[in-house]
Amino acid sequence: MDVVKYAIRKLVGGIPLILGVTFVSFLLMVYFGPDLTFEMLGKNPTPEQIAEVRKELGYDRPFLVRYSQYLKELATLDFGLSDSTGEPVSSMLIRSIPISLALVTPGFILGNLLGVLLALVAAYHRSGWIDKAIMGFSVVGMSISFLIVIIAFQILLSSSYGLNLFPVRGWNVHSLYDYVMYVTVPTLASVFVALGYNTRFYRAVIVEEMTRDHVRTARAFGIRPGKLLYKHILKNSAIPIITRIMFSIPLVIVSGSLLIESYFGIPGVGKVTFDAITTGDQPVLKAVVGLTAVLFVITLLVTDILYRAVDPRVSLK
Amino acid sequence: MPPSLYSLLLLIVLLTTSGCTREQEAALEAGGQIAPEIKEYKASMDGAPSTIDPVQSSNVYANAVVLNAYDTLYRFKYLARPYEVAENLAAGMPEISEDGLLYRIRIKQGVHFIDDPVFEGGVGREVVAEDFVFSIKRHFDTTQRPRGAWLWQGRIVGLDAWKDAGSNYDEEVEGLRALDRYTVEIRLIEPYPQLIYTLAQGYAAVVPREAVETYGREFGSRPVGSGPFRVISYDSARIVYEKNTKFRQEPVDIWAEGYDPETQAHIGVEAIQGRSPPFIDRLEIHFISENAARWNSFTKGNEIQYLTVPNEQFDNILASKDPIIAKPEISEKYHMRYSVESGFVFINFNMDFPEFGYNDDPERARRNKALRCAVIKGFDWARRNESFYFGLGRVFPGIITPAVPEFDPELSDESVRLDIDGAKKLLADNGWDEDTIPEMVYGTTAGVSQRMFYEQFRGFMKKIGYPPGKVVLKQYATFGDFIKDTSNSRLPIVSKGWSLDYPDAENTLQLFYGPNGSPGSNDANYKNPEYDRLYEQSAVMLPSPERTEIYRRMNQMVIDDCVAISGLSRTRIYLWHKNVIAMPDREIVSGFYLRFVDIAAGDD
Amino acid sequence: MSAVTEVDSQMPDVNEHHESIWGKALYKFRRDRTGMLGLGIVLIYFIAALGVWFGIWGTEWSDVEGPKWGAMSAEHWFGTNIIGQDIFQRSLYSTKTAFEIGLIVAVLSTLLGALLGALAGFFSGTWIDAIILWLKGVLDSIPFYLFVAAVAFALKGNPWAMHVAMVSTFWTTTGRLVRGEVIKLRNFEFVEASRAIGVPQVTIIFRHIVPNTFHILLVQATIVFVAAIKSEVILSFLGLGVQDGVSWGLMISESTMEVLAGFFNNFAWASIFLFVLVMAFNMFSDALQDALDPKKVAES
Repeated sequence: MDVVKYAIRKLVGGIPLILGVTFVSFLLMVYFGPDLTFEMLGKNPTPEQIAEVRKELGYDRPFLVRYSQYLKELATLDFGLSDSTGEPVSSMLIRSIPISLALVTPGFILGNLLGVLLALVAAYHRSGWIDKAIMGFSVVGMSISFLIVIIAFQILLSSSYGLNLFPVRGWNVHSLYDYVMYVTVPTLASVFVALGYNTRFYRAVIVEEMTRDHVRTARAFGIRPGKLLYKHILKNSAIPIITRIMFSIPLVIVSGSLLIESYFGIPGVGKVTFDAITTGDQPVLKAVVGLTAVLFVITLLVTDILYRAVDPRVSLK
Repeated sequence: MPPSLYSLLLLIVLLTTSGCTREQEAALEAGGQIAPEIKEYKASMDGAPSTIDPVQSSNVYANAVVLNAYDTLYRFKYLARPYEVAENLAAGMPEISEDGLLYRIRIKQGVHFIDDPVFEGGVGREVVAEDFVFSIKRHFDTTQRPRGAWLWQGRIVGLDAWKDAGSNYDEEVEGLRALDRYTVEIRLIEPYPQLIYTLAQGYAAVVPREAVETYGREFGSRPVGSGPFRVISYDSARIVYEKNTKFRQEPVDIWAEGYDPETQAHIGVEAIQGRSPPFIDRLEIHFISENAARWNSFTKGNEIQYLTVPNEQFDNILASKDPIIAKPEISEKYHMRYSVESGFVFINFNMDFPEFGYNDDPERARRNKALRCAVIKGFDWARRNESFYFGLGRVFPGIITPAVPEFDPELSDESVRLDIDGAKKLLADNGWDEDTIPEMVYGTTAGVSQRMFYEQFRGFMKKIGYPPGKVVLKQYATFGDFIKDTSNSRLPIVSKGWSLDYPDAENTLQLFYGPNGSPGSNDANYKNPEYDRLYEQSAVMLPSPERTEIYRRMNQMVIDDCVAISGLSRTRIYLWHKNVIAMPDREIVSGFYLRFVDIAAGDD
Repeated sequence: MSAVTEVDSQMPDVNEHHESIWGKALYKFRRDRTGMLGLGIVLIYFIAALGVWFGIWGTEWSDVEGPKWGAMSAEHWFGTNIIGQDIFQRSLYSTKTAFEIGLIVAVLSTLLGALLGALAGFFSGTWIDAIILWLKGVLDSIPFYLFVAAVAFALKGNPWAMHVAMVSTFWTTTGRLVRGEVIKLRNFEFVEASRAIGVPQVTIIFRHIVPNTFHILLVQATIVFVAAIKSEVILSFLGLGVQDGVSWGLMISESTMEVLAGFFNNFAWASIFLFVLVMAFNMFSDALQDALDPKKVAES
């Protein structure tokens, strides 16, 4: 019961946040966003035609009216139809979100898993050559631009100039084999880029744990490395690790996949959103931005609850 | 594996396979089984359509896509070059009255829309003349967000009035009627020789009223047409069609389609003689604007089978540029074809700006003209051609492009020849120097190539003495924003590309017609009464030597007044896999050729 | 009080031992070879950028004189690009662009972060804190590239759009760290003492507390510098970045066309210049962090 009350309180506390995010995003992307009028008109438009189209698109209504309309849509999850293709926004999202998830999940999991593993190895051999090598590699990974990695990987692995093993672009997935084919190169690229950051962060956290007195004591008592690792180090490092993972989820899904989706031609949510920004497709933008805000608040909430599960010292008050 | 991980994996698999359910469902509905050997063709386009509602199909890509799902009254012949009109849904060429004002067009009988729930019993009904009338009327109904009204605005009796009266579809329009089930009658206010071309555009595709009314705006992603293919899926990456089994059976006669064995024999198109299109079971068009990705996908072998070659690959695939011959390793694996585009790229001066253009002070106006002419002289077309188009572009003077019959190959190329000394002299003689010369704001859409065009332009200007600091770039993030500013006449220098809608020079000459000034397509805002008079005179003339003469005089006026830096037509090179039997084209015939594509049996 | 003993062992009082933490840090830093190497490289780049600023070199980055895709030669050290511009000149000029972006964004976002973080920390628990935290939450939950795209559009292609967007999002981490530190510092004796004397709150915050966060600020500034440069690459690729002049991001996006035709000079050199600077800065930043880490200072 405590958990539920806590959750409700947190959720209510998150409402100003949602309002804030929606307001800022609405202001930027919708109100000041690209004017779709001239895309909609054909050649040789007359001033009357221009006025008509603006009315159709709703540009002539006052700001507050449009904003409250938006909030209503968010609450009912009814975002209407896309301004450019006429497809219902909800079906666009339903179509593209699973694709984005399928695209980023392996990379996300792998990147964090490998990151933790490498960090453990590095931390265990602190100041040894293994540690230095891993850290060196991490810095290199952090210093190469994502863009360069994507272009290079596409050439090396997918094109006929390189190994020609994987499809160049697209997402034609009907079986597990197809899935592996299409997701490999993007996954490799994102893991390559994320690994550097992840490893360093986790190593820092783990090292901090390792130097704590109770760990030193346990070691002095001759406890086995495996048990040391799990019982003493990992469990306590769990909080910052989990926090980091949780906080990167909403970001990874929407913006992390943006570059990959455009370059590899994958029709996921990132690409849909970016297209919507550049073409000024307001219904789509409103939907994505609103949902991201809600997702973020929910993530905060879940993280808080997880804290409690992992660290009983944290109270629910 | 821990149970949580297992269920996560399961979730992922479920999520991914859910993405293609719709397609599989459609395939299953179609026949319960996917046929063992379906003929499949994967084409590519270097851009994506924004919608596939005919009433909004304003770009080349949308046009190509729409024409395969829908019928238009007319189309263009598959193989004839120069392009020629042929009948599509129409049963013959239109009957035109003596004065050119009355058109009667009969449509073929027994043509049906595809099956769709909007029809009674889900079975597609017959297409009738009233459907065509409805489809054109939609362009004059603002709730449909139409973009093609300009083709028929002020041309058809009663249509504009119908719109002003509220666009009530149950009301008849005097100049656009269905005389009976299969006859359309159009009454024009003035003769309009290009009318028949407009009826071959995606804008004029025939749509069923039931679908538009039932689906509303969603109609833009749920096509219901009578064309050779039916759409089974459409997203921002590609569109997938399957053969429309209800499409009318009309054996193709390649000779009637303009077959020229001398130039076209190597394509193997004789294999389709006497058979009824479409020949493929499944058509995919991939939208790949990134050149690198498109090229990689094509050369891979099992992805797309056709592409317009990106410019930077020209050196890699051509053994020689004049004549154009492919390298052996390319001609072994692919068919190649090239043609000059039907369109051109050019740069407009916006005459509304008193610093460059029209000016109330006659002295200043004279100096402005000298300035413009100097800039034109300083523009190195040859170099631009070399840098970006591998020297394969066709540079020509004026605004009548090489693709149209009225083009004059003998016209002096002085206006496109580099003349740095002449430019400097013009500037010096007219009191222009580094301090007095006005700032030029060069407007273009966002993009790497556009940026390079600008930098090269600035480099050219530096050589004639134009200080680089005064040649400023203004890049627009979206095409819409760019159009907005040009429509409001806010850009002094506008870099443009234009694709012909139909093979008649009128399509480019209208770009400088006074009344078409901003917000119209005359963003040079050229207002020459003499030019306008000639334009109006020629607009109602059928093609003839007299009309060509008038066109050429207009062309010369634009050149003499130094209104635009013009122009260049790019050469397009098409490559397609050897097992594909087709004569592809990116323009004019771009949508229409797909129904004639065939795949050779026993491919590699 | 435990707070006081913590002060003695961890955090030297700002007025008396102000030099010693920096002195110790400097000593430690000097001994860190990778850090010194990183710093050295950064300085070389900085001098290059200054040279461009003052017009000493890198001035011919926009000339279109050279051959199309010329090879590396005595005249064009790194070759030329598609319209005949000298790649070496462009790479050099981009150094200036990179430093401009990096410095502006780093300085402004650090200032903003320090200001808002200090206010939030000092007035922790009050409405000031709540508002600043809320603002932080809002900015954090909008995906970065979408935010920048939106700002770029909203500012209608103003060349500063990118900087504005970056500063608005990058201050949050600095702010959070400063806030945390300030909350700790707030409880120290010297603050209570100052209050008792009657020193105004603003002075307390900015003259006594914030200087104690300089080590955080410095490290964060270097991290933001790197983030800014890297973001610029992707933004320029998307068309939202640098508008005038040239940058490595622009060079890389130009080169995406060229690379498949087999011309790698543009791509390679821009990438190398970028990579070396970022790597050097990262090494420098790491060494700085190590040197300034109070726990490690206590160790040595």
